[in-house]
Amino acid sequence: MKNIITAFALSIGMMTSGLVQSAYPDGPVTIVVPYSPSGNTDVFVRHVAPYLEKIWGQTVVIDNKPGGGSMVGTAYVANAKPDGKTFLVTTSAFVTAPAVQLDLPFDSRKDLIPVANVGYVSYILVTNANSGFKNLQEFVAASKDSPKFAATAGLGTTTHFAIEQFAAASGAKVDVVHYKGGGPAVVSIMNGEADIYGSSVSSAGKNLKAGKIRPLAVLGDERIKALPEVPSTRELGYPSTEIKQWVGVFAPAGTDPAIIKKLNADINTVLRDEKLIAKLTPLDWTLEQSTPGGFAKQVDVELTKWKRLAAEKGIKK
Amino acid sequence: MDFFQNLMLGLNVALSLNNLFYCFLGVLIGTVVGVIPGLGVLAAISMLFPMTFGLEPTTALIMLAGIWYGTTYGGSTASILLNLPGTPANAITCLDGFAMAKQGRGAVALFMTTIASFFGATVGIILLTLFTPVIAEYALNFRSAEYFSLMLMGLVAASTISSGSAIRGFAMVILGILIGLVGMDSQTSTLRYTFGVLGLLEGVSLIALAMGVFGVAEIIMSVRRVRAADIDPETLKLRAIWPTRDDVNRSWFPMVRGSSIGSFFGTLPGTGPSIAAFLSYAIEKRISRSPKRFGNGAIEGIMAPEAANNAADQTAFIPTLSLGVPGSATMALMLGVLMIHGIAPGPSMITDQPELFWGLIMSFWIGNIFLLVLNIPLIGLWVRLLTIPYHILYPAVLVFICIGAYTSGFSELYVWMVFFFGVLGFLMRVLDFPGAPLLLGFVLGPLMEEHFRRAMLLSRGDFMTFFDRPISGAIMALTGLILVWGIWSGQTYKNKTAQNESSNDST
Repeated sequence: MKNIITAFALSIGMMTSGLVQSAYPDGPVTIVVPYSPSGNTDVFVRHVAPYLEKIWGQTVVIDNKPGGGSMVGTAYVANAKPDGKTFLVTTSAFVTAPAVQLDLPFDSRKDLIPVANVGYVSYILVTNANSGFKNLQEFVAASKDSPKFAATAGLGTTTHFAIEQFAAASGAKVDVVHYKGGGPAVVSIMNGEADIYGSSVSSAGKNLKAGKIRPLAVLGDERIKALPEVPSTRELGYPSTEIKQWVGVFAPAGTDPAIIKKLNADINTVLRDEKLIAKLTPLDWTLEQSTPGGFAKQVDVELTKWKRLAAEKGIKK
Repeated sequence: MDFFQNLMLGLNVALSLNNLFYCFLGVLIGTVVGVIPGLGVLAAISMLFPMTFGLEPTTALIMLAGIWYGTTYGGSTASILLNLPGTPANAITCLDGFAMAKQGRGAVALFMTTIASFFGATVGIILLTLFTPVIAEYALNFRSAEYFSLMLMGLVAASTISSGSAIRGFAMVILGILIGLVGMDSQTSTLRYTFGVLGLLEGVSLIALAMGVFGVAEIIMSVRRVRAADIDPETLKLRAIWPTRDDVNRSWFPMVRGSSIGSFFGTLPGTGPSIAAFLSYAIEKRISRSPKRFGNGAIEGIMAPEAANNAADQTAFIPTLSLGVPGSATMALMLGVLMIHGIAPGPSMITDQPELFWGLIMSFWIGNIFLLVLNIPLIGLWVRLLTIPYHILYPAVLVFICIGAYTSGFSELYVWMVFFFGVLGFLMRVLDFPGAPLLLGFVLGPLMEEHFRRAMLLSRGDFMTFFDRPISGAIMALTGLILVWGIWSGQTYKNKTAQNESSNDST
């Protein structure tokens, strides 16, 4: 008898998931962005949302829930109903912030399912144009004589781990100083308060072009299109210093796997759109095609990696 | 030339249909809020703050700024007709303005204060346009030590100058700083006073605090205090507005002096339009050949303070926009708008966001022209507004506060915060503790801590960094002087008779 009930329940489950696949979504979908309106991630989502609306024939609501270095919005989605109507679009803060915020009210691995990695921006090490460091080797050597100050856009942000990882790999001696966001961090390089900053290209933007700050290297294995003349850290002899800030989509744990699959497929479709690519490339976005499984593996590896680095560096005791 | 290009850019932004509309809306709301006694500018801006989230940051600022300088225009109306200041900055206008109204010259007073307001604002805007970019350029070299010193000066000045009692002001600044500590610490991500509430991770909401302490508390206080008024509309007909030749002759110099005094005090942290208005009145009275006329309808007595408070309204934007350091609670709210939109206020803002800066400044011109139109031909409308019964007006306002608080974070936690701060604000009013230093401490405290800790890190733990850097050292010395002066004048205040409006200073 029990078996029959189980079988019955299972078959209903399968039927509904099959139904879901064809009819999903049957109502408005909310995308939670754990950052303020008009920030990088928000702008990205606002570019993408109309395309999803077109595919789904449903309204897509963008709900900004900023705070706690993206962890407030992330926690909100972790506790949301897994009905396929609420998703999170966040950055690699998803994997870096838990390394320093130890008492989060959710489990990054268990309470959220990675759905898709949509793309990434690269990081460059920058210094003041008048700093006298002509290249990265000079900076590393000088820092060993007298420690230098490294700016970050905040504790536990990607910019923070970018510099920590580089320092660990290169042996450069830096003390990190946290600023509130990328803007003030760039200003600190311009007025000479801090010596080096691992910045995204867009954040260094105008001042880079104006020649007020100098790019020393791209943190990665390869050069980037936006700055073809800047060497990568691997070329300069500092391997395993690559870091990208990615943007990814997550769903609350318990969401129907069929929905996850459909969502991933729809997002991939949108990201292949030529018009969208043309709009986002100047903002230094590299768009990607991903699978839920592949992204989950990446998230798992990075969660472990940054946690270990934070422990080694004694960032959070 | 670059400068004119920027002005044109700003004019372009300010003249877009959307911005024109919100500018008009802002000054209109400002005038209404100003006309109604008991409803202050801080309360109004706090309440309308959440409404601006959906707007572009430039548009949001244009509207809020419109409310800010609009209230000072409107505020003189209630001062003149009812002998009740519409805002604290217009309190001194009551003395001669109401006297003029009693002599049947109310329309002349309303007309002339509008002219004085426009004149003062014009002077303020010109200074703002000329000096802000220069100061910002220079301030790019400011480091954490300078910012810390500047903010410390701002807090000390705010608590000692703007309120009657320095000790009470200080107490409120400290309370504000303590409330500002709630949330995640920026350097170590340690949680403080969050009691396991996830919504408090980002700290107490500025909106909820401002709406509670200023909006709700103000309404509770007004319930027993303010009544709708009887005014004879006959004396306020449009043909009665023309001043005599003697009026015009007497007005010219007080307007110029008022504008200069206002422009100066507007830029200083902690002073703002109220102090500017009081001081310029005092100066006019002192230098007048017939000081006895003051208080009996002397036109100088309304022209100087109204020019001063409007000039101060404009120049208050100089430190806010050039340094990102707010000089008053209202300016702190303006910075809040920027931060909510992800714009880092500071010296690089003018070059990074030229549309925002120049658009805002050019909108001031437009807003002031709107205000001329609103205040001269439409004066009858505002007078009628003074007769709306408050038992209809205030419940409606309370509902909007709750809606605004909820929508600021889509969480009922914010409504509870408003409730909590409403009670706190009411108790503060009853016990005569000023609210503005609280808000300023709340906004500046965490910033100060951030800069302090960064400065200490950068100096490798040497406290002298605040004193041996020349700019920081000079600011510190000035702060010390203000403190000494504040304590000294606090003593004299104690000896004087209690002044009831000093505690309501909500600039």
